[in-house]
Amino acid sequence: MYRFFDAVRIPFAALALIATVAAPCACAGELVIRVLANNGSPLASAVVEVRSLTEQRRPVAPLEASMDQVDLAFAPDVLVVPVGSRIGFPNSDVISHQVYSFSPARKFQLPLYRGKPYPPVLFDVPGIVTVGCNIHDNMLGYVFVTDAPYYGRTTAAGTWSIASLPAGNYAVSVWHQRLRNLARPLVQNVSVSPADAHSEFLFQIREPLRPQRMTARRSAEDSY
Amino acid sequence: MNLTDSRPLLLCALLAAAPLAAQQVDVTLDGRLVTSHSRTSFLDGGLGKLRADADSTSAELGRLRFGMSGALGESFHYVLDASAWSTHDTNPIDITEANIEWRPTPSSAWRSRVKAGAFYPAISLEHRGAGWTNKYLLNSSALNTWIGEELRTIGLEYNLEWLGAQRNSQFDFGLTAATFGWNDPAGVVVALRGFALHDRQTPLFGRLRTWVPGGGRQQRVLFDEIDGRPGYYVGAQAKYSDRVLVRAMHYDNRADPAAYDAAIDDNAWLTKFDSAGVRVQTASNWTLLAQWLSGATYVGENAGNCWDFSAQYLLLAKQLGRHRIAARQDWFATTQVRSAYPGLLGRDRGNAQTVSWTYEPVPRLEFTAEYLQVDSNYNWRLWLGEDPRARESTLQIGVRYTFEAFRH
Repeated sequence: MYRFFDAVRIPFAALALIATVAAPCACAGELVIRVLANNGSPLASAVVEVRSLTEQRRPVAPLEASMDQVDLAFAPDVLVVPVGSRIGFPNSDVISHQVYSFSPARKFQLPLYRGKPYPPVLFDVPGIVTVGCNIHDNMLGYVFVTDAPYYGRTTAAGTWSIASLPAGNYAVSVWHQRLRNLARPLVQNVSVSPADAHSEFLFQIREPLRPQRMTARRSAEDSY
Repeated sequence: MNLTDSRPLLLCALLAAAPLAAQQVDVTLDGRLVTSHSRTSFLDGGLGKLRADADSTSAELGRLRFGMSGALGESFHYVLDASAWSTHDTNPIDITEANIEWRPTPSSAWRSRVKAGAFYPAISLEHRGAGWTNKYLLNSSALNTWIGEELRTIGLEYNLEWLGAQRNSQFDFGLTAATFGWNDPAGVVVALRGFALHDRQTPLFGRLRTWVPGGGRQQRVLFDEIDGRPGYYVGAQAKYSDRVLVRAMHYDNRADPAAYDAAIDDNAWLTKFDSAGVRVQTASNWTLLAQWLSGATYVGENAGNCWDFSAQYLLLAKQLGRHRIAARQDWFATTQVRSAYPGLLGRDRGNAQTVSWTYEPVPRLEFTAEYLQVDSNYNWRLWLGEDPRARESTLQIGVRYTFEAFRH
């Protein structure tokens, strides 16, 4: 499990905050987080968490989600869920998979299967759970279990937004499977003023990222 | 003890029982149009380097393959692979690999695996597909052609892996150790014929023709235990993400070169080699393979006959959607360093260039056009009254379709 306050790497002063005033007054406005890789390109599938620096943590209701297995890859390969959620791991491939994790936040294994023979797995500890298949070592998925009140995944354009965020000071943490240190999300602080109906926050990742994993192709799988 | 003894019984039992229990059955049909300019093929008793014989144009069966695999319980997996190559086959269809692997679900980053049966040692970087199928070219490199011809682990292999990706590292590591029998004749073909370039694997109960100096030709049994001494290999592997793979291995069949088996009319050949390879894959779908192998084989009283052999290749492939282009440069050499008999010490060196284009319109259907040219200089061709220098080439159009069936 990570401790997110340890993870503040970029000083507050370095923040790039672009705010545009679109309405005269709002106690809650839209916040758009735009995540950029070190080369300036938008970073899709980044996990974003937003936590208030002043208010008490608000519980988020757990949900039921699904991480499928299609063409020898987890789909989606990154899933972010609130603590207490249950995730099903159906196998849509014609061949069997054997899904497991030995991450401290959740150890589990689903014996060799096709289809949907097992009940969803409970994820009740915040943290990053790395999921693999014992038959196909190139399959890699991540379940990001969060206790943040606001969370999500960036789109292909590298953005994620909350429609209505009360004004205040927040810690924005960003995690991506291509970060060098997967155990430590990057954190920056952001201030949302009551005057802003729409704020856009640029989260620039400065460290070089891991190489992108290859697109899964069944015919590219190794038998030897 | 010769694997051929119990051949009919074993073959029938395995091939009849396996599809009934298999969870996955693959049938691959690989047809070729082949036009070649070459010497008499080694398969026909010559010293040509290609599978196709002399100057010919014909439609050929590249390979007909039956693959069966499945799980036994939670932690055991088995594979049975049988193929026919139509020409020069000892049996109409024969087994290339049959093994069972214990692969428990990891509960930490350390995973142990144990494989028992008949299988390929993890040397080739070209043969990534089920049934030891070359993923890039129709004809294998000289190095891996030799692996397919003469080597098979018939024994036990242990793998210890550190699954770094699951520990959020960018690296994975693995160590391999194996002990095996029934591979004592390995080395005879590379010594007497030198390296070749083709795609025909020697099945477990099959034979491979080898020209013998002054003595005509002989159908060699390669999977035979002659001296009762198990061989071994040890290897290591490292992976960086899914981009870079590095492998190295030391192999020694520990054969007693003085031991002789009248049943197959061959000695045990003491064969040792080191091999290493690297595969690099880029985000833009380029793949670079490089492999190196160097060793020696000994036969006769006091190991009185000895050959050094080595082979290398570089392969570059680019995937462009449904198309793939690949090019490979091969180098190979076999040098007899001592002989118990008077006469010319064998010396074969050569290089080869291969280019191919593959189109996969739908999954599991591939069309390939491939050109291979090999230049070699083998002084023992003088025994056949031939020029030692030979330039051989083959142009092949291949169609390969794999039918898959799954039991649900």
